[in-house]
Amino acid sequence: MSARTKDIELHDVEQRFHARGSATGFLTAVHETSFTLRSDPPHIVSLVGQSGSGKSTIARIILGLQRPTSGTVTYGGKDIFKLSRAEYDDYRRNVQPVFQDPYAIFNPVYRVDRVLRTAIKKFGLTKSKARAQELMEESLRAVKLDPAQVLGRYPHQLSGGQRQRIMLARVHMLRPAFIIADEPVSMLDAQVRKLFLDILVDFQRAYGMTTLFITHDLSTVYYVGGDVMVITKGRVVERGPVAQVMHTPSHSYTKMLLASVPQPDPDKRWTDRIDIEEADREEAAPEVPTSDPARVPRP
Amino acid sequence: MTLQSTLRPLRGVARRLRENWKLSTGLVLLIGLILLALLSPLISAAVGQGTDPVAIAAYQKWLRPSPDHWFGTDQFGRDLFAMTIGALRVSLEVGAIAGVLSTVVGVIMAFVAGYKGGAVDGTLSTITDMVLVVPSFPLLIALSAYTKNVGIVELGLMLAAFSWPFAARTIRSQVLSLRARPYVELAKVSKLRDLEIIAYELLPNMLPYIGVGFASSALGAIFALVGLEVIGLGPGETIDLGKIIFSAIGTGAMTLGAWPMFVAPIFLLTLLFAALNLINIGLEEVYNPRLRGVAGA
Repeated sequence: MSARTKDIELHDVEQRFHARGSATGFLTAVHETSFTLRSDPPHIVSLVGQSGSGKSTIARIILGLQRPTSGTVTYGGKDIFKLSRAEYDDYRRNVQPVFQDPYAIFNPVYRVDRVLRTAIKKFGLTKSKARAQELMEESLRAVKLDPAQVLGRYPHQLSGGQRQRIMLARVHMLRPAFIIADEPVSMLDAQVRKLFLDILVDFQRAYGMTTLFITHDLSTVYYVGGDVMVITKGRVVERGPVAQVMHTPSHSYTKMLLASVPQPDPDKRWTDRIDIEEADREEAAPEVPTSDPARVPRP
Repeated sequence: MTLQSTLRPLRGVARRLRENWKLSTGLVLLIGLILLALLSPLISAAVGQGTDPVAIAAYQKWLRPSPDHWFGTDQFGRDLFAMTIGALRVSLEVGAIAGVLSTVVGVIMAFVAGYKGGAVDGTLSTITDMVLVVPSFPLLIALSAYTKNVGIVELGLMLAAFSWPFAARTIRSQVLSLRARPYVELAKVSKLRDLEIIAYELLPNMLPYIGVGFASSALGAIFALVGLEVIGLGPGETIDLGKIIFSAIGTGAMTLGAWPMFVAPIFLLTLLFAALNLINIGLEEVYNPRLRGVAGA
């Protein structure tokens, strides 16, 4: 399958949003970010950062939901916003999301099956009704859901963990080369979170899916392993294998993040407090001028 | 698929109706009024006994209310009961036509503007706002001065021309909030086309708002026409509820003892107003949980 060897590459992707009141008139969510997601060998890359650091924007850009202000995202060497019909179909089929909010992801007026049926129909998985049913049941079982308990139900009748696993079942049916998982476990409770992550790791091994795992929670990064990129204020400040970044962090922000992970151990209670004032001052600090001042137009 | 599971959404609707007295009262009132209006040919025939009860000089003029003529007769000897019910029908028809037209225009404008965003939204919203601030009543007065013998459909068109921006504005803001929902993004990565997303993902969630938009523009159109008729500037020869009020004022019907000529149309208009507003408030309560009286109610 040639599609398996295509890579997603971000070249100097920058995303600015209009923001009234800021000095420059806009807010830069993502600064000149470049990285490559390789599908061969399949692996998990975590993107870690706090809220507002630009990680969800990166996910939306890779998924083609948002056009970056400058820079390009390529899939198999082609700009994802300039694909031919066939290339677009291939890209859509192979780059699929798992979103954060298991509640808002379902249209409340439809049964949950619709999410799976739409995928079958739109990606032409099968034309036969019986085969479609089979596919759905098989994929639901793969995410440890009982098809009889899930199919035919409305979203509000299922728990958050069940709904999020239906999204995984959708991914299981489509078998994309890339999963863009934007905070997929942040709204799940602890056991369901582990179950979800286990399934994600299994998918990587069993079906060769490369996962961009976006999270603010370092403990989940540790759990899924692979590589990690640390992002703050729209810039990737550190990248490397999980063990290396966790044990010998080089950037001060990574160290701060690591120190903010609570340990479930009464002997390791935090004794010092994070200096809120200092943290606020850092947040409020004006945008760091980029190395090339001409790039940021000043009014 | 079992019958039970198909009926589930319907049962939800029934439950909402039972739990929200405003919505159910409003609907009962509205359905009653519509039935009354639909029955107007039968009522007319029953009153007239073979003749047309609202023909000029069908009976003596200014008859007092009696078992034969429940509301009496007017200055031309027309039966007021049959005439009022007929006028209710005209008012409702004008409202329905204007309501449907302005809702359709409003929905299209709102969906295109809200979903496309950017320059398209800017242009369409500016047009909407411009029509919104046009002083419609003086314009309608001027328009009706030039239009004689217009039918119900033309009347509806005239009124809809000024009432669609209200529907467009409310619906657009809802589209703006809905299009950012994750399920819309999931639909996009599932290769649904824009029109499919509008029709299958957004529209079903918009139905209550579209209903509210329809109700308000229909009501607005009915009352605009009544307003025109009451001050004697109504276009054409159509007899709606406003026209009856106008003749009641013009002929001094109250002093002649023909009080139903004045009271009946106003009573019906009040009922209609109450019904549509109860439905509006009820729908908003049902679909905006923050307005519900008690949590979980």
